[in-house]
Order: sequence, then C-alpha cells, then structure tokens
Amino acid sequence: MSEEKKKKAMNRLKTMYPLRANIDQAYERSVEATKAGKPTAWSMVNWWEADPILKAMDIEIVYPENYGAVCAAIGSAQKYLDRSDAEGFPTHMCGYARNCIGYTAEMTELGHIPSDAPMGGMSNPILLLSSGALCDARIKWFQSLGRYLDAPVWTVELPHPGVEESQMPGVREKSIQFMVKELRELVAFLERLTGRKMDWAKLEEITDDLIEINRIWYEINEFRKVRPCPMHSRDFWSCMNASLYPAGDPKVSLKLYRDMYDEVKDRVANKIGAVENEKYRMVFGELPPWHALKIFDELAERGWNFVVESWAYHAPKPIDYAKISDPLERVATQTYQWLTGYFPDALKEKEYMGYFAYPYLEWARTYQCDGALFHPLLTCRTATNHLILAQDRLLNKLHVPSLIAEGDIVDLKLFDYADTMRKAVVLEEMMDHYKKVRQEEGFEW
Amino acid sequence: MHEVFRDHPIREGSLIYFAGIDLGSTMTKVVIVDRDGKTLSSLVGPTGAEHRRLANKVMADALMRADLSFDQVSYVVATGYGRINIPFADRQITELTCHAKGISSLFPGVRTAIDIGGQDAKGLKIRNGKLIDFVMNDRCAAGTGRFLDVLVGTLGLRIDELGEISLRATHKLPISSTCTVFAQMEIMAWLSQGTPLPDIVAGLHDAIANRVGKMVKKLKIEPEVVFTGGVAKNIGVVNALQEYLGLKVSVPAEPLLTGALGAALLGKELTLKAMAEGKPIHEKELRLAESTFFHTENH
Repeated sequence: MSEEKKKKAMNRLKTMYPLRANIDQAYERSVEATKAGKPTAWSMVNWWEADPILKAMDIEIVYPENYGAVCAAIGSAQKYLDRSDAEGFPTHMCGYARNCIGYTAEMTELGHIPSDAPMGGMSNPILLLSSGALCDARIKWFQSLGRYLDAPVWTVELPHPGVEESQMPGVREKSIQFMVKELRELVAFLERLTGRKMDWAKLEEITDDLIEINRIWYEINEFRKVRPCPMHSRDFWSCMNASLYPAGDPKVSLKLYRDMYDEVKDRVANKIGAVENEKYRMVFGELPPWHALKIFDELAERGWNFVVESWAYHAPKPIDYAKISDPLERVATQTYQWLTGYFPDALKEKEYMGYFAYPYLEWARTYQCDGALFHPLLTCRTATNHLILAQDRLLNKLHVPSLIAEGDIVDLKLFDYADTMRKAVVLEEMMDHYKKVRQEEGFEW
Repeated sequence: MHEVFRDHPIREGSLIYFAGIDLGSTMTKVVIVDRDGKTLSSLVGPTGAEHRRLANKVMADALMRADLSFDQVSYVVATGYGRINIPFADRQITELTCHAKGISSLFPGVRTAIDIGGQDAKGLKIRNGKLIDFVMNDRCAAGTGRFLDVLVGTLGLRIDELGEISLRATHKLPISSTCTVFAQMEIMAWLSQGTPLPDIVAGLHDAIANRVGKMVKKLKIEPEVVFTGGVAKNIGVVNALQEYLGLKVSVPAEPLLTGALGAALLGKELTLKAMAEGKPIHEKELRLAESTFFHTENH
C-alpha cells in the first residue's frame, strides 16, 4: 500500500517558482553569453545603484553573494569553503566571500568552470563590480580575487548617514549628488572597458521597470500584515533577488511580480495563510541558514509563520520619482530612499538605531509579531552587531521576545539545528506569556 | 495486548496528586506533590541510555516512596531534554519554564536563576514565577557539569569531593574557560609541576563561574539569585559564582529537583484550572503498554 504523502505545513506561493527560475537562469545566461563573446560582470548587491547601468549596456551579470547562497542551499558550498581555507584566507571571513574565493581558485586552476558547479557556474568576468554599501568585507573580497582573475575591480560608493544626520539640511541632496557623480564615472569607465556606448533610453526604461518592480514587491509585502499572513519568508527569500540584485530580465520579472501580487491578494481575500495553522507570527532577523532551510518547515508544523524579515533585503518605501528626469539620479534616489526611508519614523520615536535595527521595531508592531528569530552570522559583523540591540528594544518596548540562534549563511558547521529547535520550544512558552502581557497592557495584538 | 487506562474521575475535594518528571542528560528526577503543592516524594536516578525504562523505574520508585499507585496521580508533566521520551506523561513543558516555577515556589523573590546541569547551563529571568527571558549555552561542554566530569578523571578525584577540596586552596590557578580539552592539558601541566590539587580545583570552579556568569550577565542580573542543577551541589562553584557576580547566591536544599518540582506544580495548576472551568483534564486518553513498570508484578 502506498504511503500517503504527508501534507506540508507551509503553503508555498505558486507564482514563486517561475520567479525563482528567472533568477536562477542568470547563471546559465552568463555562461552562454561568455561563449558567444559577450561580456559578463560579477557584481555584489548594490541596491540598484549600479546594476541598471550594466544591464543598459548589455553586460550579463552574475552575483557571487547569491551564488554563495545557492551553493549552500543545495549542499555544494563545503568544498569551496575548504578551498578558500586552504588558500590561506581566514575561516572567520564572510561565508559568501569564502565560497566565491574557493570557487574562483578552483576555476582558475582548472582553466574552466568546474563541471559540478551549481547552476552551470559563474563564467569568467571582464569586470568585478564591488559596492561599499553596508558591508566592510566587500572591498577586500573583490580585491583578493585579483590573485586569480584578470579583471578590474570597480567599487561604487554609497554615503551612510545616521538617523539624525540624514535630516540635516542639504545632506540628502549632497548624498544623491555624490552618488550620481559616482555613477557617471562608472558609465565612463564601462564605455572605456567594453568599447560600447551607454544606451540612455534603455537605462531609462530599465530604471522605470525597476522602480515599478520595487513598488509591486513592496505592496506584496504589505499584504503580509494580514492574518493569516499569506506569504512566508521562504517565498520572500526565493523571490527577493529579482528586485534586490536585480537578477533576470526586468520585463520578465515585472510580469512575474504582478502575477505574484495577484496570487497574494487572492490569498488575502480568501484568508489563505502561508502556514496552515498560524499560531505565532514571527520576524526573522538577518539572512537565513541557507544550508538548513528545512528548519522553517519544522517550525511551520508548530504554527510558526515568518511574516517579515530583515530590512536590508526589502524594497524601499515607495516615493514619487516622476519629477526626476535624469535616470542616474532616479537610480541614486531609489537607493538613498532604501537606505534612509525609515529614518523619519525612527526619529519621531526617538530611536537612533539606524537602518538595520529600527525597522524590526516598526515591523514587529505593524505586522503584529509574537516573536523574533535572530540568526547572527558568525562571519558577518554588519548583519549581526545590531541584533542584540533589536532584541532588547523588541522585548522592552513591545514585549516581543526573541531567540538568538548563531550560525552562518554558508558554513553549516556554525549552525546547530537541534539546539535551535530546543530553544525554539522555550521561546514558544515565552511568546505565550508575553502575548498575555501585551493584552494586559492594551497592545493591539 | 494488555493495557491500563488511567482516566479516573476526579471530584472536587478528593485526594489528588501530581507528578513532575525531569529527564536530564545525566539524571532523571521525579517529584510528586499533593493538592496543596506539598512534596510527598522525590527521587533522583541516573538517566542512562534507555530513557524510557529508566524513567519508568524512577517514577515507580517515587510512587512507592509516596505509597501511591499511578492511578492516584492525576497529571504528569514531563520536562528536561528527554521529555518527549516519557510515554506516561500528559504533557511536555520545557525545563526552563518548569525550573522557573519550581525555583519560585522555594524562593518567591527570585528574579534570576542559574542552572548548571550535566550538559547545559542556563540563565533564567523570572517575574512572579514566570519565565520572562533566558539564555542557554551553545554546543560546548565548557561551563557545564560535563566539564567537571571530564576533568575529575585527570585529577584522580571524585566529583562529590571537589567542593570541599577547593575550600583548602591558597591560590586560584587560571584555567582556560573556553575549552574542556585545553583545560585538561593545562591541568596536566600544573600537575606535572607539583601544584597543590586544591589550587587547581579552585581554578576549575573559577573557570565555570566565569563562563556561565558571563553568559547570564546578558540577562541583566537582578537579585535574588538562585543557583540550581547538579553543579550547585558543589560549594566551590557556588562561592566562585558569588564572587564573580558580586551577589549572594541562594541554593535550594536539593538543587537537582527544581525542574521536576516545577513540572509537578504546573501539572497541579493545569488540573485545578481545568476542574474549575469544568473542562476535561486530559487531552487524550492515556494508554500504557504492559511493558511499562505498571505491570512489574507480572514480571
């Protein structure tokens, strides 16, 4: 007798699959492009600041950070991590950087893409486009690749004002001017490197598409405030890269995000949750352990629905870009809006925690969360150092308890699955307790 | 198969009893309380590899001591890391919540509790008997009972004599607080130099206090502080912890039993609440296979 297949507690979005496939195809496209003699760049996530320019110049892009997540998720990262260690790079370095350096060392030694490289691998680049946004490892990582690759490194910078400083007269205008200047220099450099001219009309079109993609993606995530939440963090992570990097053809991504919008809206209308019996509405702090995503299935079986996640990977709060005619200024404004969009709210609440920490507070309230699971990345200071602060503010201001489960995005040796589950059960009891406390104190949830 | 059913009616005012069983990594503990929360019987036995069998045996012995049969126990709460492996339990509750309850029943003013068991160390923040925050050690033996278990072998001592020996120390030696294996190497080096045992043992206790104290400080420690778990029986660690925290640390008469006590008291609360609300006490009919201790007379 055939065993009845157990129904999964997590209800994935159907529209997620084609969107994720569109993202994944970026790797195969880059391999094909290289074979056809077209240029490919390796690009770090730069929050739309530079990638539209590359796309407008018909340069294929692959994303080493995303590739680290892909390798981890399908269990192929360990050999690249080991290779990076053997090359003499520190083990406490960024997991994505270790994966990329190990991969690059192997590709260089072989003289071609490793035959077992996930998704067809990342093909030899003509450019390494680095970004100064948020993360300190990014500068030296791509410089280190110079040991293996004959490709120039270009770093796009981004001002990082604090909550109060961002509101000082002239800071916004000067920051955006600085970014536009950076982008003009990048355009000039790319024209020299590729011998191609920038297609400004195409850049304008791509910019429009990206702004629209982000607006729809933002609206999709707004739907997640509803009970039961129609979309789990797993679907967010599977689809975020078409907006965030932006991986894939923007026109195709736009259509697929629209389809997703319709599906999520339909779920809201019909009260269909992403988790069958939503008992705990959760915030997830930082990037997940890509190598252990099944933990979310196990938690879903206990009624945990992850309804919102770290700010850094979300679309910016929508603003009106119609009056900005220069596409480079529109690109820069969108990136700056992403970085500082929550600062006015933070200032109103006299919270000076900055871009990483404050949104947890606002979102735990607006998404009515019962608890948070924070995943400090032992190899990433930027994504980690604010979590203790966020944990403290959530508990003391909103009576939302949280759990810290240390780990890593790529290195599975740093994450203890069983221990996390053991502590998760304790967190449930605390969430039950604090739910009563919030009710006694007149909170809405 | 012969089975026993334990769903007996409970009337208001009748004699009812509650059991808590804490299946820890090293020891299994049982506490049986009456309707007033008074402890009738308690027992500690080694957990061993066969969790279910040992849990049954410890429970059977505790019932015998209390002169009760299992039928007279209205509700059983299981806790500890092996709690899901106790077939006769009505409900599983985490050891942190149970500890908070048990410790609060003994020390009503407790606000911070530190529990060091065989394989883990925990910090609990407690208000009015409720757990409001916690920290636990990650996957490392340092700062747990296992740290001492491993190192007594190197020292040629028994675990129960460490506390008294450390009181004779004239000088505390610095021992690595981060790794059991490295600490063992350090001890061997001290021993080879003819260092007095009390000084080494006192250093070990300091290492544990340092490791656990640092972890628990994340909770913003407030008095009254209570120390439980098997390691709390060691006066040397109690003193070292007090010194590290700069606070008085209280220890229950039987620090191993607070988890099981809390489990029993939570069982009592759940039962009495259900009775008051006229709801069924047991969520499911409890069945016990004849292989369990309830049929030992047939064996």
